[in-house]
Amino acid sequence: MTAWIAADFATFVQMQGKEVVNSFKLGWQDFVDEFTRNFINEERWKWLVEGFGNTLLITFLAGLIGIALGVIIAIVRSTYDKMGSDLKKRGGIGYAVLAFFNAICNVYLTIIRGTPVVVQLLIMYFIIFASSTNDIMVAVIAFGINSGAYVAEIFRGGIMSVDKGQFEAGRSLGLNYIQTMIHIVIPQMFKIVLPTLCNEFIVLLKETSVAGYVGTVDLTKAGDLIRGRTFSAFMPLIAVALIYLVVVMIFTALVRRLERRLRNSDH
Amino acid sequence: MTTDNNVLIKVDGLQKSFGDIEVLKGIDAEIKKGDVIVVIGASGSGKSTFLRCLNLLEEPTGGQIYFEGTEITDPKVNINLHRQKMGMVFQQFNLFPHMTILKNMTIGPMKLLGKSKAEAEKTAIELLERVGLADRKDAYPSQLSGGQKQRVAIVRALAMNPDVILFDEPTSALDPEMVGEVLEVMKSLAKEGMTMVVVTHEMGFAKEVASKVVFIDEGVIKEENEPEEFFANPKCDRLKDFLSKVL
Repeated sequence: MTAWIAADFATFVQMQGKEVVNSFKLGWQDFVDEFTRNFINEERWKWLVEGFGNTLLITFLAGLIGIALGVIIAIVRSTYDKMGSDLKKRGGIGYAVLAFFNAICNVYLTIIRGTPVVVQLLIMYFIIFASSTNDIMVAVIAFGINSGAYVAEIFRGGIMSVDKGQFEAGRSLGLNYIQTMIHIVIPQMFKIVLPTLCNEFIVLLKETSVAGYVGTVDLTKAGDLIRGRTFSAFMPLIAVALIYLVVVMIFTALVRRLERRLRNSDH
Repeated sequence: MTTDNNVLIKVDGLQKSFGDIEVLKGIDAEIKKGDVIVVIGASGSGKSTFLRCLNLLEEPTGGQIYFEGTEITDPKVNINLHRQKMGMVFQQFNLFPHMTILKNMTIGPMKLLGKSKAEAEKTAIELLERVGLADRKDAYPSQLSGGQKQRVAIVRALAMNPDVILFDEPTSALDPEMVGEVLEVMKSLAKEGMTMVVVTHEMGFAKEVASKVVFIDEGVIKEENEPEEFFANPKCDRLKDFLSKVL
C-alpha cells in the first residue's frame, strides 16, 4: 500500500519535474524574447541610458541648488532665532532687515512644504518658465527649490545642535558673527547633518521620477516610452524599478559607511 | 572715564537680568594692568555671569564697562575689535574639534590680525613649546586629555596677544590629577605680568597668585581684599560661612 503510494508519488514528481523544467525552458525563452523586444530592438536600451543620465543630472544639480538655498535659509532663520531679540532691543536697521528676510524664508518654507512637488513642477514649466523649452533646466530649478526647503530645516537643526560653547569660543577670539558661522559652526554642522543630508539626496533621486510630467525624458519616462512602443509593461517598468533600487542601495550603503566613520572619529 | 592709564577694565554699576531673575545687582570694579583678580563665590552667585559680561558674551542690562578707555557697553562700539584684546578660557575648553591644535591656534591671528600662515604657525609652535605640547600640534582636540586641552585653550588665547585673559572656572571640568598642570601654566602667566581675571574654586591658587580676591554673593561684591587679609580676616558673615565650607 505504502509502496504503491511511494511509487506513484515518484512518478508524479518526475512528471512534475519535467513540466517545471519544460515550462522554465519556455519561460526563459519568453524572457529572452521579451528582453530583446524591449531593450535590444531598435537600440531601446539607449533610452534607458539617456533617461538614467538625465535623472542623475537633475538630482545632482537640484541637490546643489538645495544645499545652497538650505545653507542660506538656515543661517537666516537661526540668526533670527538667536539674535533677533537682542537686535530688536538695540533698534536700528539691522533688525528690520533680518526680520524681513526671516519672513521671506518662512513664506518660502510654508509654500514649498505645503504643496506637492508635481504641482510645483507644473507651475514652473507652464507658468513661470512658460517661454523656456529647456525642460531639464526647469526640472532642475523646480526640484532644487523644493529640496532647499527640506535641506534648510535639516541644516537649521544641525546649526542648533552645535555646542553653544563653540560659538562663544569663536566670538571670544574676536571673530564676528559671520566669520564664526563660516569657520566654526557650519563645518561642524555639516558633520552632524551629513547622514540626514544623504538621505534627503536619496529622496530627491526618487522624487525626480515625476519629471516626465513636463516631458523630460528621465529614467521613469524612458521606461514608460518603451512600454508605449512595445505594448509590454512588465519588462521596462521592472527594469526601471531595479535601476532605482540598485542606485538607492548603493547610496544607502555609502551613507552607512560614512555614518560609521563619523561615529568612530571625533574630528 | 578715569585718567589713570593703568586701569585696564573699569566696571560701573553692572547689572544683568535673565528675564525676571536679577543675577547681577550693580557691580563696580577696577582692574589694573598686571592684576590677577580671583573671583570666588557659591554657584549661582553671579560670578561667571560677571566674567562673561566683561567681554559681552552676556550683554549687560545696566551699567557700563570701560576697556582701555572705551565704553564697550555702547552698542555703537565694534566689540569684535576689543574682544581680540580680551582672551577667554572656558570651563569646557571649547577647542574647535574639527581643527588640529595648530589650526585652533592660528585661525584667530590669521583671520583677525592679518598674520601670514607661516608667522602664525611660528608663534603657535613657540607657545605650544611653552606648555610642553609642541609635539601634539597636528593632533585633534579629541586626542588630548582634559589638562592638555585646557593648556591648548590658554595658549590659543595667548596667540592673539591679548591685554587680559578671562578664565571661567578653568579647572572645574578637569580630573583632579590634571588640575595642577593647568594651574602651573596660569601661575607662570601671572608671574610674567599678564592681567588675569579668574573665576575659580581653587583657593590655593587665589592665596598664592592673586593680587586681589573678590567675593561675589547674591549679585553684588560682598568683600574684596588682598589675599592674605581676605582669607585671614574675612569681615562679612557670608564670606566667613563660605570660607569655612571650602577651606
